[in-house]
Amino acid sequence: MTALSRTWGRLTTPGKVVFTLLPILVVLTVGLVVAIVIFGGPIWDVVLANLGVVRFVAAATIILVITIPIAFLNIFLEMKVIAFMNLRIGPDRVGPWGTLLSVVHGLKVLMKEDFTPTGADSVVFTWAPVVTYAAAVMTVLVLPFAPGLYGQDFNIGLLYFFAMGGLGVVGLLMGGWSSFNKYSLLGGLRSAAQIISYEIPLTLSAVGLLILAGTMSLNTIVQQQSGWFTDWYVFRQPLGFVIFFIAATAEGNRTPFDLTEADSEIVAGFATEYSGMRFGFFFFAEYVNVFILSALTVVLFLGGWNAPFPFPHLAVNLDPGGLGIPLLFLLTLGPAIATIVLAAPFYLARSSMRWWVALIIGFALFNVLTVGLILTWGFISFSWVAGLLWFLVKTFTFVFVFVWMRATLPRVRIDQLMGFAWKWLLPAALLNLFVTAAAVVVVGS
Amino acid sequence: MATTPHQHASADDPRVLLDDHMGLYEPIPPYPPRTEREQEFYTLGDGEMFLNAGPHHLATHGVLRVVMKLDGERIVDVDPVLGYLHRGVEKLCENADFHQTIAYMDPLEYVASLFCEWPAVMAYEKLLDVEVPRRAEYIRVLTGELNRVSSHLLAMGFHALDLGGITPILYSFIERDEIVEMLAAITGQRMLFNYFRIGGVNGDLNHDFMSRLGDWMSRAGQQVAANAALLNENEIFVQRNRGVGTMDRVTAIKHCWTGPNLRASGVPFDLRRAHPYSVYPELDFDIPTRAEGDSLARYLLRIDEVKQSLRIIDQCLHQMPDGPVMAKLPRLLRPRPGRAFAAIEGPRGEYGIYAVSDGTDQPFRFRIHDPSFLHLQSFTTLAPGGLIADWMTLNASLDPIMGGIDK
Repeated sequence: MTALSRTWGRLTTPGKVVFTLLPILVVLTVGLVVAIVIFGGPIWDVVLANLGVVRFVAAATIILVITIPIAFLNIFLEMKVIAFMNLRIGPDRVGPWGTLLSVVHGLKVLMKEDFTPTGADSVVFTWAPVVTYAAAVMTVLVLPFAPGLYGQDFNIGLLYFFAMGGLGVVGLLMGGWSSFNKYSLLGGLRSAAQIISYEIPLTLSAVGLLILAGTMSLNTIVQQQSGWFTDWYVFRQPLGFVIFFIAATAEGNRTPFDLTEADSEIVAGFATEYSGMRFGFFFFAEYVNVFILSALTVVLFLGGWNAPFPFPHLAVNLDPGGLGIPLLFLLTLGPAIATIVLAAPFYLARSSMRWWVALIIGFALFNVLTVGLILTWGFISFSWVAGLLWFLVKTFTFVFVFVWMRATLPRVRIDQLMGFAWKWLLPAALLNLFVTAAAVVVVGS
Repeated sequence: MATTPHQHASADDPRVLLDDHMGLYEPIPPYPPRTEREQEFYTLGDGEMFLNAGPHHLATHGVLRVVMKLDGERIVDVDPVLGYLHRGVEKLCENADFHQTIAYMDPLEYVASLFCEWPAVMAYEKLLDVEVPRRAEYIRVLTGELNRVSSHLLAMGFHALDLGGITPILYSFIERDEIVEMLAAITGQRMLFNYFRIGGVNGDLNHDFMSRLGDWMSRAGQQVAANAALLNENEIFVQRNRGVGTMDRVTAIKHCWTGPNLRASGVPFDLRRAHPYSVYPELDFDIPTRAEGDSLARYLLRIDEVKQSLRIIDQCLHQMPDGPVMAKLPRLLRPRPGRAFAAIEGPRGEYGIYAVSDGTDQPFRFRIHDPSFLHLQSFTTLAPGGLIADWMTLNASLDPIMGGIDK
């Protein structure tokens, strides 16, 4: 407890706000679910009457909570993939294959001293990571993860996404300016110049797609791409896709456009003076951004949660209640019998195997099998489970590409970066827009 | 809340208004300017600022401190500040036995240690008129060229690392690690070998070394070419290097450049051919040069030199004679009074040792000529006009080693 209270004492005000808000939201959501289960009808009526509010609370909770495992996963992926590409082993101490190392990283960052340098503008310095993190988190609200699984379906979803994503640079600029450090200042100004420049080709490359789609609602854009993979917008907007992905790399401050935190030039850029959880928020925001930009690329150009082929719909309707009393026997005896049956081969095959070791192996196998069966059933029977899986597979493919680029490419120079945006990407995006518009006028939408 | 400066006399008090004491945080020396150059450098123009990089900056290859005068991202002027690694090696050597001085040579060039031992033992051998056994000379060339390869590989890897590519350094280290391991098999050390002796080397080649070397030589050329292909055809890398820090041949000669940096400016000067020493006249190898003189040329030239070094190693292995590896010498060396200068071609240029003997067992005067120091002086002419990122490229391509610069 002392460690926990000490950690709490070291948190900054925004940190305390977030860590107070998070449990409250979790408790509210869980309470709502429990109330529905216990009281049923009347509560359900109240929920249906205020669906917007309830949906918002649930979405805010899930989005805030989900960013943490996403960031952990991205950090682990980055460490492990880059290690393999460098012919290293990478993290392998904490957890199986080092999977828990990013969790330990998170705890370490939480425990570290929270330091404000002399001369820093402490208010701006404190709130800068919050702005960046909030901007990253708020964009998740409009992402359609699966059919019916999204925070809000705005009809200006894409515009909202770009507006919120662009807010992140304000946090970087605040952090760079308020740190009272010239490296931070250079990093902050670099990020401002870079992100504002790349925002234009990023947005323009999506406009061609918007002409074809006729809507800014991300949910509708995904629905338009259902069917075979040839219906994905990447085949109708190949140039737009390339421009979008390059600009997204720059937006996410990723190699080769990571000038904002160019470690061999300006130490750590805007984050030079940050420590503890304030640095953690910047760090989290970066990795959440990688996920979000990959997700948006998938949503806009690669069909979002759609399978690459028309997925056969084989809803297997299970009705366990129909079994009646035998269900009780199944629930009580099923696990035990399955465990013994699965353990038997191990016990019989090796004379040195202790019976309880065999039982543990059998129980673990039973759990894996059950979870697998339930997942398979969910994948077949529920379109949202299948959709979520397709979405995550595609998104993490792009996260992998981001990590791959980081392992391979050196960094560009600031003048080459700006020249590339204004001399190549912007004209190409305009050309893409013009050709798309002309084609729509000639062929008809 | 806000306090006025006169309430707190001490400038160390953190409550003092920072606006009035901004100078405390600037890299300006606390004394008045001593030279016109200092006066000019520490006077800021309109819209300019100082940026202090080092001595613990990530891209300074040691403890180099560079004060940059910036106009936005563009460098107006730079001032390298030396001395953070100064040990007074020359004076230490004047108070040490001739044998002991060889151990002081290693940390001068901590990436390729053999190249600082070599001129020292050569100078003493000139003072003593010692004939070095031919097998010892071949072993010196063999181990020296191996060390040159390891040094160039490290330079190539760090070049990429300074430019933001994190993978090439690790690929380089695989080969470098193999080389230092095989050198450790005969010298007992991975980094500071202390292997050369006056009149020979400290031990013959052993089985461990030869088997490792045979394994490595069978794949070295391919590996180096494969690692180089990762960067040489990378458009970002080429764009970052081309035309950065361009040195023409006249200025390079005026600045006393030597080694790969000079040859990248189009001057085919290599001490192994210009002033042959050891058994180099018996070996067949080329002196690669490049005309451009920019960072890319310096980088590519190192790859060419690695290939030539592999040729030399191959020939050494084939021509290595049998025989002793040490000349017969008394334990206590008292050379005749006199002076000697010996210079060799190292991975960074010409390493020279000037030793004066007064007849005792210690050098009377001892001076070290280090190429990195002369390359570093060109910072003030090459860096201004470029961006901050160009300075990293320049530093990586000149490849200075602070051990020799600060002595």
